[in-house]
Amino acid sequence: MPFNTPSAAIKKESPGFGLGLRPVHYPDFLDQPQTVDWLEIISENYMVPGGKPLAMLDAILERYPVAMHGVSLSIGSTDGLDTHYLAELKALAKHVQPMWISDHLCWTGVQGRNAHDLLPLPYSEEALRLVVRHVNQVQDTLGRRILLENVSSYLNYRSSEMSEWEFLRQVAEQADCLLLLDVNNIYVSGINHGFDPITFLDHLPVDRVQQIHLAGHSDHGDYIVDTHDHPVAEAVWDLYRYTCTRFGDVATMIERDDDIPELVILIAELDQARAIAAETLGHGMQEVKEAVL
Amino acid sequence: MKSPELTDLQVAFHDHLLNLPSAIAHEVADGGRISVDHRLHIYHNAYRVRLLENLQDAYEKTWAYLGDETFESSALAFIEDNPPKHRNLRWHGAEFPHWLVNRFPQDRDIAELALIDWQLRLAFDGPNASPVQPAELAGLAAEDWAGVGFQFVPTLFIAPVHFNSVAIWHALDQEQAPPAAGSLPDPTWLLIWRKGWQPHFRTIQAAEHAALMQLQGGASFAQVCADLGEEFSDQEAASVAAESLRTWLQDEMLVGLTGTSA
Repeated sequence: MPFNTPSAAIKKESPGFGLGLRPVHYPDFLDQPQTVDWLEIISENYMVPGGKPLAMLDAILERYPVAMHGVSLSIGSTDGLDTHYLAELKALAKHVQPMWISDHLCWTGVQGRNAHDLLPLPYSEEALRLVVRHVNQVQDTLGRRILLENVSSYLNYRSSEMSEWEFLRQVAEQADCLLLLDVNNIYVSGINHGFDPITFLDHLPVDRVQQIHLAGHSDHGDYIVDTHDHPVAEAVWDLYRYTCTRFGDVATMIERDDDIPELVILIAELDQARAIAAETLGHGMQEVKEAVL
Repeated sequence: MKSPELTDLQVAFHDHLLNLPSAIAHEVADGGRISVDHRLHIYHNAYRVRLLENLQDAYEKTWAYLGDETFESSALAFIEDNPPKHRNLRWHGAEFPHWLVNRFPQDRDIAELALIDWQLRLAFDGPNASPVQPAELAGLAAEDWAGVGFQFVPTLFIAPVHFNSVAIWHALDQEQAPPAAGSLPDPTWLLIWRKGWQPHFRTIQAAEHAALMQLQGGASFAQVCADLGEEFSDQEAASVAAESLRTWLQDEMLVGLTGTSA
């Protein structure tokens, strides 16, 4: 069911520059104001009965706008959606009143088994129909558009019938959902599969990109793994520069899940994103494309 | 060649992750800088690394006790025996303490230590409840003491322990060499609960355990005191009951009063 809005805008105005909230930084965010516009929480971390995580979340909600980001929706599994999980997600959303809710365009398990990994889908008509049906079901349940994120991947299937970017665009338009563009994942998958990240970005609908993720990766020479344990790589900053030019002012944040540094270091990294976005607003697309390529 | 149905593709992929016979390699496009086998291996490896890290996080003291090598080999064997079925990763590992009983049948202290790790984690984000304040008890009318009973904190976990696993846990927590594992001389139970935001634990002996079981079963405190009196002298019974009640209050283990007129 399409989510008709009175205005022409599908996506919300950008709230600025954010960070993924990690428990090690609770005191930093609660003891004093930080130059961070919004925070993204991992939904599953707060699907608990009580205790410190929910108390910290409530304190954060008093201070920052929050987006919810999940890892367990498994929107592309042929098992179908887990209604119990969806009910928990809806209950958390009611409590958090997030700016938006996102998860990944992937599957995490089949036949009741869970790999707890973001596994790639074939970019086929069959997978497209399945994902669109599931997104409709989720959006009907939550009563709002969701964001789907492109995952990093290490293989492609013979049964793929289109490119990843075409698949992503088709999902967004047919299911009337929004996109969370992970610029690092585009770079990682570009290296692993040998595609041009600019082509990927150029094919996505500008009006449906609500959020951008930036993160670090591990370079193994012949391939790259999306590890979230390093600062954002220089090549990814370059790609972000182009992303800003194409998509304009989009909510951007940095994800760090391992070897998490002090908050001040992440904020400095976020300031780099702010600076690139600010610079780019005044530049033409061709100029940036030439600088990146 | 006809493409497999999406379900068959996903089943083959997941079977590959679990080391089951799988034809997934035929479905992966070749070309590029790394081989199909290498591409599949990245997922095969990531599956185990993620689950291993989750167990290391949940079973921190057990990991320290066993050491890196033994913990890792045990955890990886557990992962092969117990493919995750829960939607939320945090629940993978719930069966690890029980699984360790069979892994180390001669060293049951290991499974007990793992049970402490797991239950502390459950208490950490278990349900909230407001503790009974001492003034509420002090304010009870004399006639209410005849019927008053207690509701205990919802995170309360009680289980028998047979080894010095609590002493081992404390030593590891202080980053000291743990004592040699040994059996406990008397029947002992482990209590785990959350006070404020912090999980707590201690061991108790038979008298307090009996009192807790009775109270949790709905008995009044007066009944518990009377039953203690059959086992101990009246003076000892009163002392045991009063001491237990004082501890429960201080430890924020009580969250409700029952059987009072108020």
